[in-house]
Amino acid sequence: MSGPTVAITGLGMITPAGQDTAATWDGVCAGVSYARTVPELSGCAVDFACTVDGIDLDAAIGGRTAFRMGRYVKLALLAAREAVADAGLDPTTWDGTRVAVVVGTSSGGTAGLTEQAVVLERRGHEATSPSAILLTIPNMPAAEIAIGMRATGPSMAPCTACSSGVTALHAARDLLATGQCDIAVAGATESVVYPVAMAGFARSGAAAQLGPGDDPSVLSRPFARDRSGLVVGEGAAIMVLERESDARARGAAPRALLAGAGATTDAYHPTSPHPSGAVAQRAVEAALRDAGWSPYDVDHVNAHGTSTQLNDATEAALISRVFPQRPSVTAPKGVLGHCMGAAGAIEAGLTVLTLQHGVVPPIANLDAPAVEFDIDCVTKQPLYTRADRAVTHSFGFGGHNAVLALERA
Amino acid sequence: MNRIHPKIIEVLTGTFKVPAAEIVPEATMDSLEMDSLAVAELAVIFKETLGVPADSDTLLKDASLAEITAYLDEAAVGVGR
Repeated sequence: MSGPTVAITGLGMITPAGQDTAATWDGVCAGVSYARTVPELSGCAVDFACTVDGIDLDAAIGGRTAFRMGRYVKLALLAAREAVADAGLDPTTWDGTRVAVVVGTSSGGTAGLTEQAVVLERRGHEATSPSAILLTIPNMPAAEIAIGMRATGPSMAPCTACSSGVTALHAARDLLATGQCDIAVAGATESVVYPVAMAGFARSGAAAQLGPGDDPSVLSRPFARDRSGLVVGEGAAIMVLERESDARARGAAPRALLAGAGATTDAYHPTSPHPSGAVAQRAVEAALRDAGWSPYDVDHVNAHGTSTQLNDATEAALISRVFPQRPSVTAPKGVLGHCMGAAGAIEAGLTVLTLQHGVVPPIANLDAPAVEFDIDCVTKQPLYTRADRAVTHSFGFGGHNAVLALERA
Repeated sequence: MNRIHPKIIEVLTGTFKVPAAEIVPEATMDSLEMDSLAVAELAVIFKETLGVPADSDTLLKDASLAEITAYLDEAAVGVGR
């Protein structure tokens, strides 16, 4: 990158694998899917998902404002608090005028909107919630984080469907590089495990269906020959980004460096990736160029790997074309399901941890990749190996391709 | 009157996360840090669960919990409950 080097100094995650970064990392490294039958989805064509469990979100949020927050907002706020604390920063004392908040989401509060639509239909408009709009609009994660942390710099909510998290980190990096802020709180959040959305994923043909005798936990199997679709997940991941020089000056130790970012758009079809993968490949190449790397510099790929036929075929071919040296490949959606708009941020967070700890988590439910895929998938056990440079891919519905190049600090 | 309507206690603690210790008969929406959005939300909940219309500006804004309790009791009789 021609601008200043940007460091990741804080990381916060809340996912189906755990309520913070450490628990998520342990869960992902264990390589076992969290998909399970969800009682609230009873009667739906897809009645299973990977969900954030075992936490009273309102109690964790604290105070008296949780009533106005959708689940997607609460997840983001909790992850942001963890990230800022992890960075050793204190929102009560920082210069909030220099803090940006960039938090993406794909579906925002469609769950809340759907609830209000039912109330409107059944009980009339006076029964609907005065908070209805706040429970719906996609900017509220960024706004509530800004309110809670007195962050008065630029803020926004990028939406590029399933690549929203990477798009948010890319945008935040650019705000830092152009001097529009000194600290960026950036990432993404998603919570769409409710009947209307789950019906939509089933109807679109993207979701894996439960066959006779199947357990939901075996269904998400990225890069497997018999993969049959995605399993929906939920969660949030937020990072604190700073220019590396600023971070070092205040004595903060970066977890990793954000070396480059690239984005392209298929401009082809709303749900199908372009079969050639050529446009997605240009996003990877743009990130490498931005980082000043050759493809041979890359030790590890954290793949989008959705467990759908089309994505995994296109992505595996892309990886083997761009990276002939066969870097290790993982795909966290086997464990976590597809956390939609949050997935790119969660996977970027996991890539940071791979660089930091020298551990590549295994792909759940995978014995070996389909024979036609010439890629080096990590299976069964974590791979203990030093990795200095990694890329993470995110490809969203609509054809939004977003890639980050991350480097060991 | 020292009684507080049980629905008030239930909603303030359950939905709005007001600590139970603060829910005393002389408390007001302001003293409980219930902003205008929260008060509007409270009015909808009263209407939907008790069948009692409660305009948030005129009824709830400056009233004590004891006064709101008296109103809810009286209005509930009025709607036949």
